[in-house]
Amino acid sequence: MKNVNLLAVIDKEKCIGCKTCVKVCPVLAIKMEDRLAIVDGEMCRGCNACEQRCPVYAINMVKREQPVVVKVDVGSVDYAKIEDLCRKAKFHPEQLICYCTATRAEEIAAAIILGADSPEKLSLLTGARTGCKVECIQPLLRLLEAAGVEPQPPEGGWQWYGKTVTVWDISEEVKQKYASRGFYFDEDIKLLDRVVAAPLQGRSES
Amino acid sequence: MRPPIKPVPPRSSQYGIDPDLVKTRVSELPGMTSVMLTDLFPDLPEVIFPSDAGVLVIRQAAEAALQNVDMSKIKPEHSVNILASHHGFTLMGGEPYAEMLKTLKDVVEARTGCRNVRLRAGVGLRFRETEEYIKRHGLDVYFDGKAIGVAPIDQGIPIETEIGTLFGLKKVYDADWIIHAHNSDVREVHFHRQVDRAVKPFGMSYARIETRSTYHQNLGPRAANFTARAIFDSTFVQSKFAFASFLTVAPNGIIGVDVDSDLYALNDRVTQTGLRYYGKIMTLFGELEDYICALDFPCPVVYVFSAGVIYANVVGANTDLYDLDLPLPAYTWYTEAFYGKQGRPLLADIPTVNRAIKMCVQNYAWTGYPTAFFSEHIPTIVVGQEQAELFNRDPQNLTYMDHAMVAESTESAMEFAYKTTGTRKVVIFDGAVGGINVSESLAEELLQKAPAVSAKVDEILLPKWLRQRGIELVRPK
Repeated sequence: MKNVNLLAVIDKEKCIGCKTCVKVCPVLAIKMEDRLAIVDGEMCRGCNACEQRCPVYAINMVKREQPVVVKVDVGSVDYAKIEDLCRKAKFHPEQLICYCTATRAEEIAAAIILGADSPEKLSLLTGARTGCKVECIQPLLRLLEAAGVEPQPPEGGWQWYGKTVTVWDISEEVKQKYASRGFYFDEDIKLLDRVVAAPLQGRSES
Repeated sequence: MRPPIKPVPPRSSQYGIDPDLVKTRVSELPGMTSVMLTDLFPDLPEVIFPSDAGVLVIRQAAEAALQNVDMSKIKPEHSVNILASHHGFTLMGGEPYAEMLKTLKDVVEARTGCRNVRLRAGVGLRFRETEEYIKRHGLDVYFDGKAIGVAPIDQGIPIETEIGTLFGLKKVYDADWIIHAHNSDVREVHFHRQVDRAVKPFGMSYARIETRSTYHQNLGPRAANFTARAIFDSTFVQSKFAFASFLTVAPNGIIGVDVDSDLYALNDRVTQTGLRYYGKIMTLFGELEDYICALDFPCPVVYVFSAGVIYANVVGANTDLYDLDLPLPAYTWYTEAFYGKQGRPLLADIPTVNRAIKMCVQNYAWTGYPTAFFSEHIPTIVVGQEQAELFNRDPQNLTYMDHAMVAESTESAMEFAYKTTGTRKVVIFDGAVGGINVSESLAEELLQKAPAVSAKVDEILLPKWLRQRGIELVRPK
């Protein structure tokens, strides 16, 4: 869930049409028209990515007059399915996967079950990955994969390139090779497995 | 009691409030004093900076250290990227780190005849932070316009590693050679756990979001930093790596410049100083009882520091951050992730935050790092509506102020903290160099507890920490 209170606004006098903003927008809210960037105000999730990377400082983040709350209602989906999907992806359903928006795995799972089939759509619907824009791409990809979805990165964009290794995938050879250097792979697997299997705390609204 | 040490001044930045709004520093309030770190731990090393000679000593130390490194593979027609990271610029005003970077350029050009030496400066989660430092320290001019900040959402490149494909930043690797210019300050011990600290930027400030997310979400709290080693050891990175140059740092200042073409040898030396010196301060923080933390430094909440220790690590100081037998510190992102919907950990053995911190007074700190976990679990007062509004506009901190109160002034915030907590013990996180600004009552507690902490680290903890990392104990000269 995210309370979207900012909106990206392009200064057309400064825009040079370089498309950097298009390539970094995590929800694909920016398009080019007549060689100038155009923001779709309804889609913008106020993450600042475009403003922070524009090479000519042509983007300003302005406060929305009416903030928009984006959220997928976990209660609208059979929770058993949510739980199955989260645990298959090796997440506890209540585990935070976006530290900026406090989005939990269950909300991402619900969005996927309801039809979201890409990180971009997940970000648009839940707000996840529209805070720091950095840390939660892998959980989104892991949950999509667990649901049997194989998204493709936006063509020509820099939004994301691919899913990477998890600790469960590390080979025995690598574990043995670096065991004496302070890398506790198997011990971390035990910890993460315990978290995945932990009981739900729950709260009335879900 | 000593007078307080002059804190690092507020700094103009898009991530912080206007410096003019910082009317009072916490160290200026009545009852504040300072303790020199060498009075707590007399075995701390001698420092070369701060120095009356200024940053000239850094240049001299860098030039001397660089004499021992082979640069013969860098040819005049080649290109070289000097890789920097944001944190170096927060150490003692940033001038020492900037001077090391300038010296690197000068020496490489003089020794190799290469004229295409660029600066690529990576960031954490504030994507324009190093742009600001490049301008502040004149590095854009010094590098002939070839100094840029790079961010984790910039164009990436795949890097094939021992654990599969990871992703680096294209502009980091777009030269024939790279020079890894970093520092040994321990900073985020909750993340790297002093395992491959010297290698970390390859998995972080030089890396794309996919890699950084692997670190913080896929590998676990003690395996995380392997992402950095995997990238550094890749054939691709090894084919470009020239050498590393580190500003070596202790809690009391800069102790030298260490240069090596063997990054792991350098890492072992950095690990020794990180555990030995920072380990003592960190352990001492963990022994303190019932105090107020006052944040007063131009950095995000987690990174404001006192005696070389960042606030995030004091929030976790009730756990031994260096002990790898403990899976989770009281604060790290994995720990934060494992709090359920009722606001408590999902497992009973996940440690809660340091209960010795009775309140946090945020006199001055920056946005640009997700910190709602802190205000949610530690009573927090933010000074000034402008600072509160800045956090409300930060997409990484939209709920930070949901859990914090606002005070009109530093004085009223501290008075409220004194009255409601019942303690007048205060640790000030204002980056004071060489010592620590604290209240008088806390100064007494520090001085009283330090000798026993020092002995405990020397005799029990340090040997264990080193053993866990496969590093032999080296006694300082």
